[in-house]
Amino acid sequence: MEGSIHEGRVRKWLASSPPVAWTFRQLRELLIGALKQGPIPQHVAFVMDGNRRFARDHKIETVEGHNLGFEALARILEVCYKTGVKVVTIYAFSIENFKRSKHEVDALMAMAKLKLDQLSQHGALLDRYGASIRILGQRNLVKPDVLEAIDRAVSLTAKNDKAILNVCFPYTSRDEITGAVKKTVESYSQPIQNLPPLKRPFSETHITQHIRTQMLGDRLDDASEQSTSRSTSPSSSSNEANLAHSSATSTAFSSSEKGENNPGPPNFQDPETITAEMLTDNMLTGGAPPLDLLVRTSGVQRLSDFMLWQCHEKTSIVFLDCLWPEFDLWNFLPVLVEWQWQRKKIQEQEKGRARSKSD
Amino acid sequence: MATTGVKPKESTAFRRGVVDGRSITPKEREAMLQPFLPEPPTSPSIPSKAQIEKASHKKKKVGPIRSFAHFVIYHIIAFIFSVFFRFRRAWRLVKSKVVALLKYHHRTPEFIQRDVKHLDRLPQHLSVILDLHDNDEDQGSAGLEGLVNDVCEIAAWTASAGIPYLSVYEKTGRLKSYIPQTHRSVSQTLEAYFGARRKPSLSVRAPHQQSYSPPLTPPTLDLTESNDSTNERQHLALLLLSREDGRDTLIDLTKTLADMAQHKSLKPNQIDSNLIDSELRDAVSTEPDLLILFSPRVVLEGYPPWQLRLTEIFHLPDNNGVNYQVFLRALHKFAKVEMRLGR
Repeated sequence: MEGSIHEGRVRKWLASSPPVAWTFRQLRELLIGALKQGPIPQHVAFVMDGNRRFARDHKIETVEGHNLGFEALARILEVCYKTGVKVVTIYAFSIENFKRSKHEVDALMAMAKLKLDQLSQHGALLDRYGASIRILGQRNLVKPDVLEAIDRAVSLTAKNDKAILNVCFPYTSRDEITGAVKKTVESYSQPIQNLPPLKRPFSETHITQHIRTQMLGDRLDDASEQSTSRSTSPSSSSNEANLAHSSATSTAFSSSEKGENNPGPPNFQDPETITAEMLTDNMLTGGAPPLDLLVRTSGVQRLSDFMLWQCHEKTSIVFLDCLWPEFDLWNFLPVLVEWQWQRKKIQEQEKGRARSKSD
Repeated sequence: MATTGVKPKESTAFRRGVVDGRSITPKEREAMLQPFLPEPPTSPSIPSKAQIEKASHKKKKVGPIRSFAHFVIYHIIAFIFSVFFRFRRAWRLVKSKVVALLKYHHRTPEFIQRDVKHLDRLPQHLSVILDLHDNDEDQGSAGLEGLVNDVCEIAAWTASAGIPYLSVYEKTGRLKSYIPQTHRSVSQTLEAYFGARRKPSLSVRAPHQQSYSPPLTPPTLDLTESNDSTNERQHLALLLLSREDGRDTLIDLTKTLADMAQHKSLKPNQIDSNLIDSELRDAVSTEPDLLILFSPRVVLEGYPPWQLRLTEIFHLPDNNGVNYQVFLRALHKFAKVEMRLGR
């Protein structure tokens, strides 16, 4: 970038000559293969920041900057999937971005549509990467024609299971967390229609009956029958919500008691059973491995409403100064190597701790 | 882009969907992509004989040499980088020591005020992440005592800089059970910095616990004195956060909401981000403007997720331990001002 235009041209010509291009390609492959030897993050997230600044710095149109950003994404995705990253999540478009100029929003939408359409034309090629696309975010904010392109691309790649590309498109993390909370509350506010039938082969009523008969002996046959039917009543009322179950065990109750039982308040799952895992699964990234690495370019050191929930205890967050369109294997390599180095150190520490504990 | 091995004709085709002035067909595009694609997957469902032969043939040809090359290159890279990281750490350590000498606060609020005077933007809510070191390796900052020391120093710097709100995140939450003691230590440090008369008032609080701010020890100031200090006494609010205030609080909120929904006092679609935001704001804290990490890299260790939305996160790479320099650089970065070392 610093050299004169002439120098730049010579360099460009040289770099695009077939042997040089071939060498670089081989070098990339070799590096990627080498990286694969170490631990690889399972889930990587990128905040693709700096497209507009790049366009401004190079005096090109903003839209062109976004286009170059998309190419950077394609390059980095290739690196990720070839090294064995399972899930890549990218922040493509924030709900807040709708506040930008209409021209830019429209251009971004058109670009998304064009790229997704291009993608859909190559179903067979996508299978080679084995990556499936998922769009995370508020679907109702997207125009119908873009939505159509999204659905086509998503359904086309749905069967691929080697890797996942999460595209956060109209997304904010608070919106995601709210959605997860809402989903959890909704599932808990549904009364349970059928309690899971008891799987144990023994029935409690049968056992109490047995005990009673043993206690009372053979002396009072009529009385024992009465007492058993009385003793079963509490358990029967708690099980009453489950019709299938009660009908299965109804032989243990006398028919007159069954009539007395009313349905009572609807049964709910106990809210105390809500766990972090449940919320994690209800996030839009549900089912993905925990986030190992988050990379944000262009020197801004903020999460900006992205992956708030997912950046938990062990997520390594890296802020880089380069702009997104410049981002490539050569910027990503140090990040990845440092991550591997730290991961190894952590593992050593854990091993050391385990050893000292066992001593 | 030169380094990706993509030719210019290909890149324009990719960018605009146009080659030689006409739009390309999907077929042509596939042909163009051919050299960049990975191997087609050998379908696992019906492995025909020919395919197996082909696969084994291929493996024989490139397998061992390639994988050996990968192995060697990986270890070379790992070695070079580990040397590089160590050098970088050493270099940054030296640098930070020099800066620490040049910029020292001398435990005087005036020095700190001078350091931040030209900043036109200060955070109103500052947050820090601290670690409780259990082992004795890091002498001086080990155990609870070290942690309290760090909190005291940071609180004093914060008060000197004129920031009214400080929250301290420490994942185990050990400090929360020593709130009165923490209050005493911090106000002693504040007194050491400011002197007994100008000492800012202090309140210490943890989520779900009452704010602790005992009456000032000399409860009444002489009338003449209070006239002397023309402006109000400064106040510093200190909030102690721990792991439970992060995900766990959100889970508790979900439980409460679920309970309410079950009792029909709330409909699930009444839940929106404003509701959650206001609940968490009251229960835990507001969004901090600036989060300072004293660790060598950015790991949030379970910091409350909801509050971090737009927070500026600052860390000094390879720094380890609390020091004034990190604090000052964070404030400079927040105000988007380059920190100059000269006076």
